[in-house]
Amino acid sequence: MLRIDDLSAWYGEAQVLRGVSLEIAAGEVVTLCGRNGAGKTTLLRCVMGLHPGQRGTVELAGRTLSGQPAHRRARAGLGWVPDDRGCYATLTVAETLSLPPVVGPSPWSLEQVYDAFPHLHARRNAPSTTLSGGEQQMLALARVLRMGARLLLCDEPTEGLSPLLVAQVGDILRQAKQHGVAVLLVEQNLHFATTVADRHHLLAEGRVVESLENSEVAAREKDLLAYLGI
Amino acid sequence: MRTKAFVMLCSTALLASACGGGGPKSDAAGGGLSDGKVVFGVLNDQSGAYSQLSGKNSIKAVELAIADYKEKYGDKAVVKEFGVETADHQNKPDVANAKAAELYDRKAVDVILDVPTSSAALKVADVAKEKKKLYFNISAATTDLTGKSCNKYTFHYAYDTYMLANGTGRNTTEEGKKNWYIVYPDYAFGQDMEKSFSAAVEAAGGKIVGRDAAPFPNTSGDFSTYLLKAPTLNPKPDVLGTMQAGAELVALVKQYNEFKLRDKGVGLAVGLMFLTDIHSLTPAALAGTTYTDAWYWNHDLTNRAFADRFKTAAGVRPTFAHAANYSAALQYLEAVQAAGTDGSDAVVKQLEGKTVEDVFLRNGKIRAEDHRVVHDAYLAQVKTPAEVTEEWDYVKILRTVPAADAFRTPSPDCKL
Amino acid sequence: MVNFLQHTFNGLVGGAFLALLALGLAVIFGMLRVVNFAHGAIYMLGAFGAYVLLTEVGLSFWWALLVMPIALALFGMALERLLVARLARLDPLYNFLLTFGLTLILQDAVKSRYGVQSSPYDAPAILSGTLDLGAFDFPAYRVFVLVMAVAVCVGVWWLLSRTRVGMVVRAATERPELSTALGIDVGRWVTPVFGFGIGLAGLAGVLAAPIRAVNPLMGADLIIVVFAVVVIGGLGSIFGSVAAGFAIGLVQAWVQALGEDWALLSQVLVFLVMAGVLLWRPAGLFGREEAPA
Ligand SMILES: Nc1ncnc2c1ncn2[C@@H]1O[C@H](COP(=O)(O)OP(=O)(O)O)[C@@H](O)[C@H]1O
Ligand SMILES: [Mg+2]
Repeated sequence: MLRIDDLSAWYGEAQVLRGVSLEIAAGEVVTLCGRNGAGKTTLLRCVMGLHPGQRGTVELAGRTLSGQPAHRRARAGLGWVPDDRGCYATLTVAETLSLPPVVGPSPWSLEQVYDAFPHLHARRNAPSTTLSGGEQQMLALARVLRMGARLLLCDEPTEGLSPLLVAQVGDILRQAKQHGVAVLLVEQNLHFATTVADRHHLLAEGRVVESLENSEVAAREKDLLAYLGI
Repeated sequence: MRTKAFVMLCSTALLASACGGGGPKSDAAGGGLSDGKVVFGVLNDQSGAYSQLSGKNSIKAVELAIADYKEKYGDKAVVKEFGVETADHQNKPDVANAKAAELYDRKAVDVILDVPTSSAALKVADVAKEKKKLYFNISAATTDLTGKSCNKYTFHYAYDTYMLANGTGRNTTEEGKKNWYIVYPDYAFGQDMEKSFSAAVEAAGGKIVGRDAAPFPNTSGDFSTYLLKAPTLNPKPDVLGTMQAGAELVALVKQYNEFKLRDKGVGLAVGLMFLTDIHSLTPAALAGTTYTDAWYWNHDLTNRAFADRFKTAAGVRPTFAHAANYSAALQYLEAVQAAGTDGSDAVVKQLEGKTVEDVFLRNGKIRAEDHRVVHDAYLAQVKTPAEVTEEWDYVKILRTVPAADAFRTPSPDCKL
Repeated sequence: MVNFLQHTFNGLVGGAFLALLALGLAVIFGMLRVVNFAHGAIYMLGAFGAYVLLTEVGLSFWWALLVMPIALALFGMALERLLVARLARLDPLYNFLLTFGLTLILQDAVKSRYGVQSSPYDAPAILSGTLDLGAFDFPAYRVFVLVMAVAVCVGVWWLLSRTRVGMVVRAATERPELSTALGIDVGRWVTPVFGFGIGLAGLAGVLAAPIRAVNPLMGADLIIVVFAVVVIGGLGSIFGSVAAGFAIGLVQAWVQALGEDWALLSQVLVFLVMAGVLLWRPAGLFGREEAPA
């Protein structure tokens, strides 16, 4: 589904990514772990086409995305769940949900969204920035599901959420996976990651320093936590 | 953050420019002509609000005066060579100051003419005094030029606020319009005009029932607050006296008509108006309005003959400022002719106390006491559209204000 | 009391012009982050265009009211494509300077063709009378101006808040990057929005022609006040700029009506209010601080 090849990125002179390569198949959930400042968000922004200083190739379902503007990439099937949850003060919840175009074969309907997230239904006419943190996260996820995106780029979707909500995020991601949606998940919460992901990549100093199958994680947990600085 | 950047952007929107040129010149000798010629310096507004009423066409007027002098004296002319220099003072006092110094020092100008905008005119008077060079102010209105800022080398030629107020204020009041509401622009000229008008109206037995200082510049171009207020004053004013000039006058008169004040019994008197203002507003918008004119091109055949020559040269009919520029240039040359030199002191001596009759100056006299040039003025009324039969002929002269009454007596503030 | 009502109504009419101009400025700033200094010159072109259409083409005020905003909107779109867009990636200062230079060019072009004196322009005959508003009479044309301005502001509000186009423009204005990542082609909206803002300034200019002095400099001073209005309302805030426009018009009319002793205050009022608002709420009355990038 997604293939990243030899991706490098800079902020001005400072190189942040140094030749990252990875692949994700349809229906596969892959996490990207790493300390703060490792370059995870930058990687997602490169895939999304939001980061100007990048080199390397990004392909979605065999079609190259490199050089395309972000709105084309979104329309090709990328669904971005940004780390700040991407809410609008001038758009209501309902408007935020209907803003993006449908880009994939199996978009959720508004009813499905409201069934799955009754809180959003209750607050549907409120400006989306007035939602609680957890609700905002749900809104950001619901929005890309509405698009029917084929690949989700989720930047720390569980950060700051209660265990109950974290579990719900897990349900949603597994459900998406069952529909053949691929997910690139940036995640610090290793326990959560192991409940949803097939594979894990460890990012440090702009490189993928380790790649593990989900089954290997349990054995390496101590090392990994040390890597993450926890 | 946005706001801060924005405020910074706005503050960069200020531009200033000043540039000069020309080489140094030798000064006047004891007799004869400095540099062997007489150079006029026409300093006025060439791009802004006052560029129509005098502006570049004032140069044309000066050229006509040179031609007439040459023709009159032929071989006997003292002055054989002439120059006309010009500069745009943009109605800014500091620019006027710099340009005047440049004209005198570097362009070898012997006499500066015109200079609208009172604040700029006063600056140039200081320069003339310092450089000991002649200066005929034509287009500025302030009486300070012959009051506390008078000096030996400065002459105030065409009109002043006293003349305007005395003509319009006194005559309108004496006609029975006793109650006045005065609206004036809130800067030196307007304040000066308001004082002069109030004094003239009260001296004639009238009463100021209200006065308002409008913002200057009036950014919105809107005067409706005052026009709404006028008919509600108690007692109701018979006449609205507006001291606005140029574009602001245009806007005010438009709105005066819009609010139908004439129908509500409030007449209109205008403090200062030029032919070019009537032209832009159209006579229809101003029909019936009275004001004081220093000169009118179609008043008699002499004026008309000059206006025909001017129209051939400039394409438009002359305002009083154009005629006065012509007259001042001519009288300067006459004085040089009589003195046999363009040395400033000798020329001033020729001018002082002289009685003059020319196309602009009727019963004219150059007062020695304060250098006020007095002459007949005219109470004028804008014609109705039906009365207008010729382009630019927008005004009828109601009566002549004799030279002896038209201007104030010399001010004790003036010490030459 | 009647006097007060009259001045209040009149203040709203004055505010109508400020609101229309501020609205256009806010729409443009919101979408492009460009402070369009040329807004005053466009207002002037609107008024002058009405005059030229009448004298040289023979088209009445009503035609001008239709033609000029559209013509200027197209001019604005061309301007955006040819010039503004080229500087969009640089510091906003460049576009500010561009529009500042453009102002001088437009003013001088009109000046060299038509001179600086004011050109005559009358209200259409049907609106040249006064209208009985119950408590008082008021010039019919001014009532028309107020009705037009309110209608336009309500129309813009409806467009922005109740239509899909408006929603997309709001999203693109508030968070351009996020919106592109959600599949919105933000760039596609930039040109029409710029043209729309310019068209609003042209509309204000046509409306001004019958009651104000039509000359090349008529927008030059006004634009500074409109900038102050936009800052008071909150940069880029659509609602704020309209509300501040009407409010400043009202307060100005009230203070002017107080009389001669208050003349100075009425001149500096808008800037005092701006300074006060900036101290109290740096983002303006209805503005939001920019989210950190
Ligand atoms: N706007 C920026 N300008 C300059 N450097 C940045 C910027 N954003 C992030 N960085 C740097 O790039 C590196 C990677 O950041 P990021 O991708 O946000 O890391 P992560 O998401 O893994 O915490 C960090 O060292 C950070 O300091
Ligand atoms: Mg991050």
